[in-house]
Amino acid sequence: MTPIVLLANLALSFAALAALCLSMNRHHAAAFTAKPSRRTMLGLRAAGWAGIALCFAVAVMAEGWNFGPVQWLGSLSGGALLVVALASYRPSWIRPAALLALPLALVAAFTL
Amino acid sequence: MRNGLRQSMAWLHSWAGLVAGWVLFCIFMTGTATYYRADVSRWMRPELPVVQQVPTPDDLARAAETAVAHLKGAAPNAIAWYVTLPSAADPAVALMWFTDFALPPGTARLDPATGGPPAVRETFGGDFFYRFHFELNLPSTIGRWIAGICAMIGLVTLLSGIITHRRIFADFFTFRRHAKSAQRSWLDAHNVAGVVAIPFHLMITYTGIATLALMYMPWGVLTAYKGDAMRFYGETGQITAPLAPAGKPGTLAPVGPMVRQALERVSEPLEMVIVEMPGDAKSKVVAVFEEPHGLSHQHPQVAFAGATGTLLQVLNPNLKPASKTFTTMVGLHEAHFAGPALRVLFFLCGLTGAAMVGTGLVLWSVARLPTPGAAPFFGLRLVRVLNLGTVAGLPAAVAAYFLANRLLPVGLGARADWEVGVFFAVWILAAVYAALRPQASVWREMLAACAALFLAVPVVNGLATGRHPLASVAAGDALYLWFDAAMLALAGLFAIAAYKAHGVEAPGRRRPQAVAPLRRNALEQA
Repeated sequence: MTPIVLLANLALSFAALAALCLSMNRHHAAAFTAKPSRRTMLGLRAAGWAGIALCFAVAVMAEGWNFGPVQWLGSLSGGALLVVALASYRPSWIRPAALLALPLALVAAFTL
Repeated sequence: MRNGLRQSMAWLHSWAGLVAGWVLFCIFMTGTATYYRADVSRWMRPELPVVQQVPTPDDLARAAETAVAHLKGAAPNAIAWYVTLPSAADPAVALMWFTDFALPPGTARLDPATGGPPAVRETFGGDFFYRFHFELNLPSTIGRWIAGICAMIGLVTLLSGIITHRRIFADFFTFRRHAKSAQRSWLDAHNVAGVVAIPFHLMITYTGIATLALMYMPWGVLTAYKGDAMRFYGETGQITAPLAPAGKPGTLAPVGPMVRQALERVSEPLEMVIVEMPGDAKSKVVAVFEEPHGLSHQHPQVAFAGATGTLLQVLNPNLKPASKTFTTMVGLHEAHFAGPALRVLFFLCGLTGAAMVGTGLVLWSVARLPTPGAAPFFGLRLVRVLNLGTVAGLPAAVAAYFLANRLLPVGLGARADWEVGVFFAVWILAAVYAALRPQASVWREMLAACAALFLAVPVVNGLATGRHPLASVAAGDALYLWFDAAMLALAGLFAIAAYKAHGVEAPGRRRPQAVAPLRRNALEQA
């Protein structure tokens, strides 16, 4: 089911990009009023890239090698738009939204 | 002065972007609307029922016979007839014929049951956006060349923009709305719109050029095939093998049986029947089917000898790698494979593209603001008017096109042309208005006008057709609900933009100030 896969992909890429966003000094400070420690920064960055890779794997496994990459890139763009919107209007919502998106992605992935 | 790579790329980016920007904005906007071409067409023919029956093979055969009977009378000497058969989206038969490929084609629409004009209002529907997207409503060859050249400049602008953008990863998520200088905020918006959907922007620009690549660069094929490009398309499996005309007249066998036979060979929906050289003894009838679900855009085709009705060739998509690459690019560009959810993403990416071009255009003028008190130079005033006319004028024209569809009398002669006339009249009016009004308030006024026009679309639709949201819910009419929702969303977007556009391009905000005195700036301008 493509819409469910897309939902899983969108939620996953949103969470991954939110982690990458929060790993940056400026955005971390806007969300938590302080810069991240080096460990936090590295952890968030690793989680972010792992999420992007996982998103690719989910897309390709569910949609095949032709539609998978299209869907992966599309969901990354969609997720990035959401993160940018939150980062500039409601930076403190990024973390809760990402923590909400992760179980959503899981639920969507399990209903496949 | 311009010594580094980045500096020269920045120069290239701002000037190439400016020169092609206005056309690119229109191409992005109408192309994005084309993702919903069939839906727009259906909405613009409110006489059609909510649910359309899928035509049976008998319906299709009869419709093809009706079309051929009409064409034998209307265009017996044509080089080719193109018959688009009824589908679940459109119950009419659409005819197109060429007597000379250098001249515009003849067109007609028929009701397959009666053979007369269909009992729905005359409109181009979403096809207008589709054609405008790559022909700009100009004669087709000129339009395609202009669109292609602008797309090539667009690709140059994209690549030079990537090189110019120093902090592409560091600023990936950054949009400083309240930056001390307006230029900074516009630059952020431009970067974010460009970078977030960069895979889409690169793909859509490159594949857009690729769809017409053989028109822009025909020399390789012309040399290798000694001017016979049709043989090239035949050998690469994109069309059925061409037939040389006999040069003597012949009669066309009944088309109905050919349609039925073709339908037994291919399982996809039948889209079109093409009759090549219909009056010739060696005429050819080709049934063209919709592409199977896949990235690659390749139509199964079944060819018949027109005079006898014997089967000549069944062309199933089994292309060699080079042709497959080409059809995959076309497929990616058109995104016919995208279901409703993925289509929304493509649509949003298209809007991001338009936003990238629009913010880029505004950025050019914001970066060249005169010092307070000084009069803007001529080039700046020209760019400002063209920016307003494009960024705010085109959406207003689109809304007016929808309104004209509902408000023009149904029986009006050349009604479809009148709708297009309203589109351009509103667009020109917007540009003239932009030239006459003071800069401090004109953005707000025009964006507010866009919001009002888009808000008027569902209201006028409800009053004119009675198919308002409540009626749509009762009838289970998803298309009308979604269309109303989309119009309201656009109206809301433009209303917010109008609200925020206060003091755009007012000089004072350029310099860092402790408190941005927006109100005073607006007053200074007035």
